[in-house]
Amino acid sequence: MYSGAARSKLSFFSGAVLFFSLALVSLSNMASAQTALDLHGKSMDPLHASHGKITVLIFALTDCPITNRYVPLLLQLKNAHAEKTNFWFVYPDKNTTAEQINEHLRQFGISIPALRDPSHSLVKQASATITPEVAVFDGQARLLYHGRIDNLYEIAGRSRPAATTHELQDVLNAAVAGRPVPFASAPAVGCYISDLE
Amino acid sequence: MNSLSHRFKILLVAFSLLAFANSHAFHASAAANSPEEKRVTFNKDLAPVVFRTCAPCHHPGEAAPFSLLTYGDVKSHARQIADLTEKRVMPPWLPDPGAGNFTGDLHLSADEIWLFRKWVADGMLEGDASDLPPAPRFNAGWQLGKPDLILRADSSYEVPASGSDVYWNFIFRPPIATTRWIRAIEIHPGERRLVHHANLIVDRSQSARRQEKSPGSGFPGMELQIESESFDPDGHFFFWKPGTIIKPEPHDMALRLDPGNDLILNTHLQPSGKPERIQPTLGIYFTDEPATKFPLLLQLENDRMLDIPAGEKKFVVTDEFTLPESVSLLAIYPHAHYLGRDMLAVAKLPAGETKTLIHIPRWDLNWQAVFTYVTPIDLPAGTTISMRYVYDNSTDNLANPNTPPKRVVAGNRASDEMAHLWLQVLPQSPATGANDPRRVLQEAIARHHVENNPSDFEAHYNLAAMLQTRGELSQSIDHYQRALALRPGDATVENALGAAFFAAQNLPQAIAHLSVAAKARPDYFDSQYNLGLALAMDNQFPQAVEHLRAAVALRPQDADAEANLGGALAANNQTPEAIEHLRRALQLNPKHSLARENLDALTGLQ
Repeated sequence: MYSGAARSKLSFFSGAVLFFSLALVSLSNMASAQTALDLHGKSMDPLHASHGKITVLIFALTDCPITNRYVPLLLQLKNAHAEKTNFWFVYPDKNTTAEQINEHLRQFGISIPALRDPSHSLVKQASATITPEVAVFDGQARLLYHGRIDNLYEIAGRSRPAATTHELQDVLNAAVAGRPVPFASAPAVGCYISDLE
Repeated sequence: MNSLSHRFKILLVAFSLLAFANSHAFHASAAANSPEEKRVTFNKDLAPVVFRTCAPCHHPGEAAPFSLLTYGDVKSHARQIADLTEKRVMPPWLPDPGAGNFTGDLHLSADEIWLFRKWVADGMLEGDASDLPPAPRFNAGWQLGKPDLILRADSSYEVPASGSDVYWNFIFRPPIATTRWIRAIEIHPGERRLVHHANLIVDRSQSARRQEKSPGSGFPGMELQIESESFDPDGHFFFWKPGTIIKPEPHDMALRLDPGNDLILNTHLQPSGKPERIQPTLGIYFTDEPATKFPLLLQLENDRMLDIPAGEKKFVVTDEFTLPESVSLLAIYPHAHYLGRDMLAVAKLPAGETKTLIHIPRWDLNWQAVFTYVTPIDLPAGTTISMRYVYDNSTDNLANPNTPPKRVVAGNRASDEMAHLWLQVLPQSPATGANDPRRVLQEAIARHHVENNPSDFEAHYNLAAMLQTRGELSQSIDHYQRALALRPGDATVENALGAAFFAAQNLPQAIAHLSVAAKARPDYFDSQYNLGLALAMDNQFPQAVEHLRAAVALRPQDADAEANLGGALAANNQTPEAIEHLRRALQLNPKHSLARENLDALTGLQ
C-alpha cells in the first residue's frame, strides 16, 4: 500500500510552482500517517489506484437524505464516464462501520466502491467540509474541483424542484475532454464533517 | 310512492397542498462577542429546547433523518443546528410569532437560537448530569393507544428513485355497518422520510373512486375535488406532517362517518434516491357521543387574479369576505403552491379593531400545515376577513418550478398557482328550525365566490345547491344552468338541475336533464334513482321500473330504491315482484313507512 506522502512526492515532478504547496500537503499527511480504509479495513489510496484516470470522491453519510437523493444522478454520471473515471464513496464518520456501509450500498443500489476515512486523510486532500460533497482529481492526483454536485439544495431542508446548475457534470465533461474545469469549488449543502469529530 | 329522498351534491375543492419559499433572513447573533460569563451546556441550556422543538421529529421511526435525543446526537450536528436555526430553516414553523397563538408552536426565540451558536463557541459542553431534564418519550405505535379501527390502503404506491415531488391519493373504505362518530384519526403515512404531509378528506358520495384506474389502485393529483352532500360540509381538518401530535376533536364535535363513506388520503411525497413503496395506514378512534356542534370550512380565494408574469417578484392577490354570522375561528390553513412568498390574513371587527389571524412571512410549501388556535378567536357578525398573498415568480424564488420563469396562472397542478385561505369556524348562534347559521354562512360564501368569479363552476354549483335546499328554486335553476354552461353535459350538474326541476314540478325538464345524467354515467346511482322517480311521477311506469332497477343494482342496500322500485312495479301491475321488493325494502329498513304502506295495500288487495 502506498501512503499519501509517497503519492505527493510523485506529483512533485509536475512543476516547480507546485512543489511548495505539494510539499505542505505531504507534510500534513505524514503527520497524520493515516490513510483511508477499504471495507476490509485495509489501507487504500484511491488517488494512487487511479491509473491515470480521473478520480471522483463522494463524501457521504449513511443516514444523510441529501446524499441519498443524489444516488441516481451519481450512478448516471459514473456510467456516462465509465472509461475515464473512477468513482468512490467515502464515509468520513469514524463511527460508521463497514457493515453499515455495505447495508447502505445495498439499500440504495450503489454500484460504486466505498471507503472509510476515519482519519479524514481524503477529507483533507479534497478540502471537503460537507456531506455530500464531491472532489474531482485529475490523473496526476491534482484537485480540480470540490464542492456541491449541483444546486438542488440551497440549504439543508430546502430544495429546488430541480437543479438549475450542474457543477459536477460540467466539471466531468471538461476534465474528460481534457479542457480546464469551469469551477474550482462551489459551496456544498448538507452535514458538516467537522461536526463528526 | 313519492317519498323523495332526492340527493343534492355539492362540489368542494378539497384543501390541498404545496408551495414554496425563498431567501432566508439572518438573525444577527451576539454570540461571539457576548460578555456572557456563564458557559452554555447541553444538559442545562440546550436539552429543554432540543427536547421540545427538535425531538418530536428527530427520533427513531419519525420523518427526520437522524435522532436528536442525546448529547452525542446533538454534538454530532452542532454546527449544522446552529446554522439552520439561525437561518430559521429548522425547526420548520411558518407563522410569524407576532400573530396567532397556535398549538404545536415550534418557533424559537432569538435567545434560544443564540444558545446553539454560543454552545458551539464554548466548546459544546455536556454539563452536569443533574441539570438534564428527562428525555421525551415517544410512543412507537399509536399515540392514542390501540385504534378502534385500523385501515390499510388497498395497494401500495411506488415512489420513483429520483425526480421532483409526487402527489398520490389513497382511498380507504371503512367497513362500518352503522353510522359512527369519529373523535380522532391517526395517519401513519408509511415510510415517513418520503412524506412531506398528508391531508385526509371525507368523500360521502364515493366520488373519488371514479378517478381510480382500478378499484383500490389510488390516483395521482395534487389537489382533490370531492363531491359532498350539501349542508354536511367537511368541517374538520385531518392533517399530518412530520412530528404531528394527534389531538382528538373536541368531545362535542366528532365527525360523522356513514356506511359507504370513503376517506381519501392526499399525500405529498419526495423521492429518496431509491425506489420506495408506501402504503399508508389509518387508525380511527370512535366515540359514542354524537356531535352537537358542527364546525364548517369557509374558503376565501381569488384564483381568478392569478396571472403572474414571468419574472414578477411581487404579485399581490387579495380577497375579502364579510361574515353574516358570528363565529369562533378554530383553525386556519393558508394555501398556495411554489410561488407563494408572503401570506397574510387579517380580520377587521365591526367595532373597528383589526386582528392579524396569521402571517407567514416566508411561505414554504414543504412545511405547510393546518394551524389550530390555542384559544378560538371570536369573530362577530360583520367582521371582514381579508387575505393578502404575495407571489414571487422570479429566479430569486428557489422553489420556482420553471427555469427560466414563465407566466403562471391558477390551476390544480404543481406548476400552477393557488390563492386559498381555509378557515375552520364554529357558528356561535344555535340552529333554530329553518334558521341555520351554517346555511347562511355557506350561501354567503358561495355568493361571494360567484361575484368574485362569474366563471367559477363550483361556485355556481354550490350556490345553486344552497338555494335549492332553501326552496329558492328559480334562482337555483338559474345557477345550475350557469354551471352547466361552463361544463356542458356534466352528469353531476345535469342530475342536480333535473332534481331542481323536479322540485319545481317541471317534470318534462326534470326528465330531460336526468336522462342526460343517467346516459352520461349509467353507473351514477343518484341519476338513475332520480330519473326513475321523475318517470314514475309522470306515469311512465315501464321506464321508471327500468331506471329504478338500475339504481337497485348499483346500491342493493338502499331501502328507498327498493321501496320505490316496488311502488313503480305495483303501478305497472307487476304485483308479485312489487311485493318482493317492498319486503326487501322492509328488511333493509323495518321502519320504512312508504314500503309498509304500499305492501299493506298490495297484500290487502290480494
